[in-house]
Formats: sequence, C-alpha cells, structure tokens
Amino acid sequence: MTLPGLALRNLSRNRFRVILTAFGVAIAVVAFLLLRTVVSSWEDSAQWAAKDRVVTRHKVTFVMELPKRYVQTVRDAPHVKQVTWANWFGAKDPKMDREFFATLAVDAPTYFTVYDEMKVPPDQLETFKHDRQGTIVGQVLARRHGWKVGDKIVLQSGIYPGDWQLNVDGIYEATAKSVDQSTLLFHWDYVNDSLPVERRDNVGWIVSRVDAPNQVADIGTSLDKLFEDGDTPTLSMDEASFNKSFLAMFSAVLTAMNYISLVILVIMMLILGNTIAMGVRERTNEYGVLRAIGFRPGHVALWIVVESLATGVLGGALGVALAWPFINLGLGRFIEENLSSIFPYFRLEVRNAVLAIFAASVLGGLASALPAWRASKLQIVDAVRRVA
Amino acid sequence: MIPVRYNVRSLAVRKATTFATASGIALVVFVLASAMMLTAGVHKTLGASGHPDQAIVMRMGSDAELGSVIEQSSVALVFAAPGVKTGEHGPLGAAEIVVVGAMEKLGADGVTNVTIRGVGDDVMTFRPEVHLIAGRPARPGTDEAIVGARIRGRIKGVDLDQTFDIKKNRPVKVVGVFEADGSAYESEIWVDRELLRQAYGRQGVVSSIRVRLDSASKFDAFRAGVENDKGLGLQVLRETAFYEKQSEGLSAFIGGLGSVVSFFFALGAMIGAAITMYAAVSNRQREIGTLRALGFSQISILMSFLLEAIILSVIGGAIGALAALPWAFVRVSMVNMASWSEVVLSFDPNARVMMIALAFAVLMGLLGGLFPAIRAARTSPLKAIRG
Repeated sequence: MTLPGLALRNLSRNRFRVILTAFGVAIAVVAFLLLRTVVSSWEDSAQWAAKDRVVTRHKVTFVMELPKRYVQTVRDAPHVKQVTWANWFGAKDPKMDREFFATLAVDAPTYFTVYDEMKVPPDQLETFKHDRQGTIVGQVLARRHGWKVGDKIVLQSGIYPGDWQLNVDGIYEATAKSVDQSTLLFHWDYVNDSLPVERRDNVGWIVSRVDAPNQVADIGTSLDKLFEDGDTPTLSMDEASFNKSFLAMFSAVLTAMNYISLVILVIMMLILGNTIAMGVRERTNEYGVLRAIGFRPGHVALWIVVESLATGVLGGALGVALAWPFINLGLGRFIEENLSSIFPYFRLEVRNAVLAIFAASVLGGLASALPAWRASKLQIVDAVRRVA
Repeated sequence: MIPVRYNVRSLAVRKATTFATASGIALVVFVLASAMMLTAGVHKTLGASGHPDQAIVMRMGSDAELGSVIEQSSVALVFAAPGVKTGEHGPLGAAEIVVVGAMEKLGADGVTNVTIRGVGDDVMTFRPEVHLIAGRPARPGTDEAIVGARIRGRIKGVDLDQTFDIKKNRPVKVVGVFEADGSAYESEIWVDRELLRQAYGRQGVVSSIRVRLDSASKFDAFRAGVENDKGLGLQVLRETAFYEKQSEGLSAFIGGLGSVVSFFFALGAMIGAAITMYAAVSNRQREIGTLRALGFSQISILMSFLLEAIILSVIGGAIGALAALPWAFVRVSMVNMASWSEVVLSFDPNARVMMIALAFAVLMGLLGGLFPAIRAARTSPLKAIRG
C-alpha cells in the first residue's frame, strides 16, 4: 500500500465524521456557487453584449431625450450600417401593477434588425410591422402574464398619460445570454403621434450597428463630436461599456458579494481544519508508534495533508452535485422568470464549479497545514505517552 | 443537574476546537447581522423621508417622482383640494421637479446617477427637518445649489464652494450643505425649480406635488378630492406609504440575499458545531458513563451537552454581533431601484437586530448540538466505563 493510499484508508475510520464534514464543506460550496453565479450572471450582461453596437444617449441624464433628427445624422456617419431607436415608456399592466417589466417604444421597421438576437417568427414580425398598435413581447413576460398572440392588452404609463391599447402580434425569444426576455416592445410612431406637438419627435436613445467592431470606441467618440456644439450633447458607448457602466452602479453590492464569498471560504476552512485537528489529536498515539518504527516526520505530515485534501475534494464535488440541480433546475428558473431584467440568464457555470472544487481542495490542504506541522514536530516519547 | 462549570471547563480544555467552531458561528452571525443592519438602514433612510400627515401627488401609474409628469396648471387645483393645511402664505405644499443627472464619482471610476430636485423658494418652510450645517441657503432665482450632507464630497464638484455643470456650460455653485434627519434627501442636490426647468427642458411641468394636511386623518378626503377629478389623471399616496414602496425593492433585495446566504452559512456552521459536539461526546464516553453511574439522569446528560453547544454558539454569536457593530460608522452608496439614482445608506445597529442575531446563534447551537446530545444521553454507563 502506498503512503497516500494509507491516508485515504484513514478516511474510513470515522466515516460518520467524514460524511458530516463533507456535507459541511458541500453546503459552503453551494453558498459559494450561488454567490458566484449571481456575480457572474450579472457581469455576463457586459460579457455577452454585441461587439458591434453603439448606444448614443443624452450626455447629462437618461431622463432627457434626443431630437429625432439625430437619427439621420448618425445614419449618415461613417462606419454606421444600421440605426434604430427606442424610448423608455415605463408602462405597467394595470391588472398586475406591482409587476415590473421594461416597455420600449421602438422603431418597428429597424429594431429587430439591429437587435438580431431577439428572434421573432417572420410572419409575426410582418404582422407587427403593419399593425400600428402591435406589440412584440418577450417569451418570459408572455408566460408570466398569460398573453398569447392575438390578445388585446391595455397598459398605463406614468410618463405618457392615458390607456394604451395594444395587440400582441408576436413573441420573441433571445439567443444571447445578455438579452432580457421580459421586455415589451411596440411602435414608437403610435406614441409619437398621440403626443402634444411640443413633446413630439424625441427619441430616448439611438442604437447603431457599425462595420468595424474593433473601433467601436472611436466611432462612439466621433458620433459625439457631431453633436458636441448643439444644445443636446450626447454620450455614445459600445454596448459592453454601456452595460458595464450600468453594472458600476451596483458595484457596492458586487463588492459585498465578493467579500461574502471569501467569508464562506474561511468557514469552509474552519470546518475542515477542525475535523482534521480532531482526527490528529485522537491518533497522536499512533503517530508516535509509527515514528518509533521508523517513519519520518514528513510521512506523518503527508498522511494528514492527503486526508484533508481528499475530504476537501469530496466536499467540493458533493457541493457541486447539490448546487447543480438547485441552481439550474430550481432557483435559476425562478430567477429567470421573475428577475429577468437583472438576471436574464442564471445558470451554474462550469468555470465556477471548477473554481469551487479547486478552492475546496486548496483550503483542505491549507486547513491541514497547522495540524500536520504540529504532528510532525512531536517528540516520539510525548506522542506515545499522550492520551487523547 | 450537572453544573455548568463542567461544560465551560470542557470547552476551555479543547481551546483550538472551541475556537474554530465558535469562529464559524461568529462569521455566520456577522454576515447575518450586517445584512439585517443594512436592511434596517434602508428603512430608516427612506422611512425618515415620509410624514404621515403629508401626501404626495404623482401622475397615475407612476411609481416614482422621476417618471411622473404633472402639468403646472394642475398644481393650483391640488393645493385647493380639501384637507390641505393653510400656512401664513397660503396652502402648505411643494411642487417640485425631480431628475437624475449623470455625475462623476470621486475616488472611484465612472459616473453615477444623482437625484437633482428643483425646489421652490419656500422649501425650508415646508420641510422643517431640513437645516443647513454649512454655508447659506441658495438665493431664489440664481444658479446656486444646496446639497445633502451624505452626497457631499462623493461627487465631483458637489461640495461647499465648488461648482458643477447642470447642463453644458451652465455651472451651478454649491453654497450650502444640509442635513435632513438622515433621510434620502441627504443624497440629493437641490436647485432652483426654474433653473432645473430650463436645464432639463421641463417647462410647464412638475414631477410631484407634496401637501401638508390639516391632520393625518384628512388624507382620505384629500385623496378623494384629487383622484375623483378624472381629468387630472393624478394619484395620491400618503408620504409614508410612498417611501415604504420606494424602499421595498432595495430592502427586499438586501434582505433576500442576506437570508439566503445566512441560511446556507448557518447550515454549514451548524454542521461544524455538530462535528465538534460529536467529537466531544465520543471523547468523553468514560466521563458520561461515570456521570450516569453516579446517578445523573439521561435528561440531565442531554441538557448538559445541549447547554455546552449553546454556550459555544453564544460565544461565537456575541463575537460576530460585536464585530458587526463598527458598520455603524460606514456609509455605503447603493442604487435605489425605484429611482435609479444613488442613495447613501447607513447601517442601523438597533437592539432588535442584535437580539435576532444572538437568537439565531442559539438556534444554531441548539440544532447542531441536539443529535450529539441525544447520543450522549443514550450512552450505556456499563459499556462506557469499560471503554
């Protein structure tokens, strides 16, 4: 039998304790994975953003709009392939007025060309384009509100007074992880035409697709130059930076979650270290005997470290096995349906699972450092004499 | 009853193990207490902004002042509604514009959204809780601003005697800093209403109308008076209810995250406590057997080990709760989902939070220690003494 093999055999001596410890580590791993998934699916919105889209909005504030003539200026700018625009409509379903979802008044002919990761069946899209009161809704939103193609719905908005009658013409699905599947989109023209003259012809933001994805930052800057001297200066950002700046507003939360992840790791280490220390204390006699028959201090340390590492790996693997169904089948589905504006995609990622198992084993090794060092330093006489 | 001293000494003998287990529990309690303190802080900050005898009027369907647009012509009608208190200079009310501006953060990268409120000349009369702690009031009709004490120094140009651009080439000078009972107003910038109208193209409209009522009980009459005029298309909320709604998203988020994390942490720490107590029980078989032989009942053995687990967890819990106390000196800025702008929050370490955190620790000890204690109680004296 090899020396590490002997250490592994030791695991089965107090099976109950090893199982409890592995469960303790596993629970910590589940919590760790949960937090990592929150952080990474949040950050994903920046990662998965389209590389070739530039968003142009008001420089000073998102509550002010841009004159619609800016759209034409952007369209004529170099490198710009396609342009569309949208307004934040801020509507609610009066029947479910506590439910939040994004409502956008969009340019119907172009919006789904620029956002081509929002897939609408072609016949539904065609109906929508010709139906002034038509709307396309995200599949998650449609499911939540029980809307089907052909339904008529009424919405209210605090920004645009009145009842807004809409026909559900289509349902979109997202093929990118960064796209919210619970947005409602309808015709900008419908809104614009019903506004008083002085509020007409304004757009919330302009989105353009460019033909040089590696120059998006420069293209954004040159777009802003076009409007610099006007009364309404703009701020253009590629989609990834735009999402990142949105994310930055929540940086305190993200930082807190990163710290809490660290705390979990410390708890994990305490559980592991405690178990190992107890095992070592109970076996001090044996180590004395083993040393007396000629094993080196290094051997003793090796046994302890390997045993701890193995427990860590066991707990880590068990944790991933528990977290997978919990996040992907239970919680994830719930979050994607109810919080999709923040977490359009909430799944356990392989890199996080690997990170968790890696962390559990490294901490297993670290946790055993002190007991292993102390056991290897023991004088044989003391060890043999020691009563647990 | 086995003396408590027996448990305390047993814990003291195994210093390292006791320390590790108690630290685990301390960390759990620390995280739980921090999350609860922050949730309490959200309620305190947003809750302090509302008065029960005041009502806020917004556009029907609006959740927040930001998205609400009311024609200036409706203001006089709202002020004339039944139940509005009259002061020396007419009805007590404030018709204000609320916007958010993207401003550069100090000490961190990027911009953040700051609430800018366009106020009337009599804003201090309407809000007696607001008082200047530095500088002087802004002169009406000028490009001067006063800023909340919590936002001061966090944003570029937003501090006494500095200037920031409210729009392109329109600098505004900060002439005063105010406090407002720790409420959300302390995270805002206040400028002249007309200035904000021009800068943000909000001519002829306001965002919200607040009124003071003759008494809190006049609310229903006032509400009926305003809401029954369908032509206005306005909704009325009691100010306290409005801020309760504003804090819902943020406190549900922090509270929810805190509970989920604490739940898993607690499970982990409980298992840690159980491991320790199981080891304690199996190492002390002989002692337990002796105690049983001396005539101590199974119940007293059970109670003794439970008590030991509870002492262990109370030590941990107390350390964790105490360690969370210094948060009281920390201010964090968060985005309030209701207004999409930054609100600076404080942690509120009240007695209730501390009690819950400690109770939670006791519960962890109780649950973690239960099964080991049962095993101890079941020990057969004969077998145990024989070893």
